[in-house]
Amino acid sequence: MLLLLASLAFVQYVRTSSSDQNPYLMTDYSRLHPVKVERVLQGEAEAQLIGLVKDAKAKGLKLSIAGQRHSQGGHTYYKDAVVVDMTSYNQVLSVDPEAKRIVVQAGATWEDVQKAVNPYGLSVKTMQSLNVFTIGGSISINAHGRDIRNGSLIKSVESFRLLTAGGDIIQVSRTENAELFPLALGGYGLFGIILDVTLILTEDEVYRESTVLMNLEEYSDYFQNEVLPNPDIRLHIARISVAEDSYFKEAFSKNYTVDRSLKLSDHNKLKSNDNWVAPGKLLFNINRSTDWGKNAQWNLQKHFFVEQSDKIVSRNNAMRAASAFMEYSQPGANDLLQEYFIPLPQFDAFVQRLGAIVKEEDMNLLNITIRYVNKDDEAVLSYAKQDMLALVCLFHAPLSKAGQQRMKQGVERIINEVIASEGSYYLPYIAYPTLEQFRNVYPGYEYFFAKKKDYDPDELFMNYFYEQYGG
Amino acid sequence: MNLKWLIRSQSIMTLAAGMIYPYYLLFLKNLGNSFSKYGLAFAVFTISSAAVSHWLAPRLDKHGVCMMIVSSLGMMGAMLVFPWTSSYGWVLLLQLLMGTCNAMQRMSERVLLADYTEPGSRGAGIGSYHFWTSVASGFAVILGGFLIDWLTINILFYLSALLYGTSAWTIWRTNRPAVPRAKEGSVSEHNVL
Ligand SMILES: Cc1cc2nc3c(=O)[nH]c(=O)nc-3n(C[C@H](O)[C@H](O)[C@H](O)COP(=O)(O)OP(=O)(O)OC[C@H]3O[C@@H](n4cnc5c(N)ncnc54)[C@H](O)[C@@H]3O)c2cc1C
Repeated sequence: MLLLLASLAFVQYVRTSSSDQNPYLMTDYSRLHPVKVERVLQGEAEAQLIGLVKDAKAKGLKLSIAGQRHSQGGHTYYKDAVVVDMTSYNQVLSVDPEAKRIVVQAGATWEDVQKAVNPYGLSVKTMQSLNVFTIGGSISINAHGRDIRNGSLIKSVESFRLLTAGGDIIQVSRTENAELFPLALGGYGLFGIILDVTLILTEDEVYRESTVLMNLEEYSDYFQNEVLPNPDIRLHIARISVAEDSYFKEAFSKNYTVDRSLKLSDHNKLKSNDNWVAPGKLLFNINRSTDWGKNAQWNLQKHFFVEQSDKIVSRNNAMRAASAFMEYSQPGANDLLQEYFIPLPQFDAFVQRLGAIVKEEDMNLLNITIRYVNKDDEAVLSYAKQDMLALVCLFHAPLSKAGQQRMKQGVERIINEVIASEGSYYLPYIAYPTLEQFRNVYPGYEYFFAKKKDYDPDELFMNYFYEQYGG
Repeated sequence: MNLKWLIRSQSIMTLAAGMIYPYYLLFLKNLGNSFSKYGLAFAVFTISSAAVSHWLAPRLDKHGVCMMIVSSLGMMGAMLVFPWTSSYGWVLLLQLLMGTCNAMQRMSERVLLADYTEPGSRGAGIGSYHFWTSVASGFAVILGGFLIDWLTINILFYLSALLYGTSAWTIWRTNRPAVPRAKEGSVSEHNVL
């Protein structure tokens, strides 16, 4: 018995000895590329952060800035750097219901913002589907989500205060230090520490959810003819089947339409969406490992979502999707996100190519959702070069060298198709795309990195994104 | 009851405890914003454990078995309630309950161990008791970690509750006066190894 226990412990030791499980190394949501950092410092006060910048400069140390570290390409840390963890710098400073503005410290999460603005009947304009991310991390990657009317996140930012590499705090807006505005937003932490942010809010509303099941080939027409022209549809998300039986054939679309007959105050109590985590997590785990699981998941989702059709939900509640069921902590493998933005006319052809490549390369695709982003090229590294449909793909892959090499190979092929479709891809995720592909998709790169050198000549603010694509 | 059954029931009990305990600590740490607050939760546990011991002590000899059952049932209740707690106050209350259960379990365990062994020849029995409960606890933590990776900590609480229930039932089952020949009040004496 004791021997059995000891061998079980040994098996666990071996199973968890991969470096993605090493608690003394730093990594991000991907658990890839763990390295040793000098130290992690909790951001607490302005004076402390100024001191840190000056001190790091004097000692020749690098700084990396971290929010919730849900980016996946080493954007939040660097070997031997000091990592500034901003999650403790998270106060809501003020809400102005008249002007519909909130001022919030960069380490606060969307959840904090939602809690602060919900009582005033206000809501965030653009954010991710989940509310776990920090404001600083979200504006630094210029996020987008289910809202189809308000552009990417940069549009909801009025101004922010930035602690620069020189140790100065400056106000940045479209009129003050305006050059930095489109650089630091979508700037991946390379232009300084964003301290606090003034966000433009919108009104909270009551929506009716409706889910429509359709063939994937009908989707883009449906979206352009039924969804976009209907101004009452405020949020939208769609999902493509990755189940064997309906692979890239079926899709369902979920719209959130304003219902003016309902009173907001009857529906605006903030709710947790994390119910039924355990069965969801179990099912998602089966989804990761078997085709049977993928079929079961799709059928259940169909049933569940169509069933839920006509559900009434406030905007703030619609913008806090469940996520706990997707959490994956097991060693040696992980769920890795990728996102591709495709102009509407090219969408149908691209999607079919995507499905084919994923099959040919034998990639384990768990889940794929579609969002819409309006053209918004304000940020220098903007992905929304035109009105685009975004395909968010969640892959499951081994973290081993070989496993990652195979992912890279598949993703490079996909990116070639993206480029052929005049699309773009999202930068917060793993740096599979080659330098050429990056430059091709983001022609603003030259200006972006040149300005980085201007504002931060010693390359004080450092991360792996910069190392890989800044060269 | 006899030593064999005591070992069985207490191994199940340690399985339940070992499975949740380390993860319970993490759960608590997430609740408290400071280590002091976290420390306080444990102080409350020890205070209640110590406080009830005086009251329990005189009843131990007669009701040891009963206490064991009540302790396991109490723990089962706590495990069922934990996932639903929504305030630190509740956590403290549960810590109080668990401290009490802990006192009952620890005290009756010792008394029963003494009852079921003979002076001069206790080594083997106690050794075997320690062996099985430790092994159970080892399996439990490994299993617990694995289960959280696959499921959630809440499920672990429920599973632990189930095991506590089983351990209570094990004691109750081997202890009900099933043998009509047994003289009243001497169940344990008759069943000694
Ligand atoms: C499960 C999941 C779902 C997602 N869904 C969506 C989605 O629906 N839509 C979408 O657009 N994205 C989505 N993302 C991507 C996500 O929005 C980004 O990874 C985002 O950066 C996460 O925020 P964070 O707080 O974790 O930032 P981090 O990952 O911690 O940081 C991101 C970048 O911002 C920089 N940064 C952080 N804080 C500051 C600061 N105070 N000052 C300066 N720079 C800073 C960092 O250096 C880094 O370069 C998703 C990611 C995951 C893992």
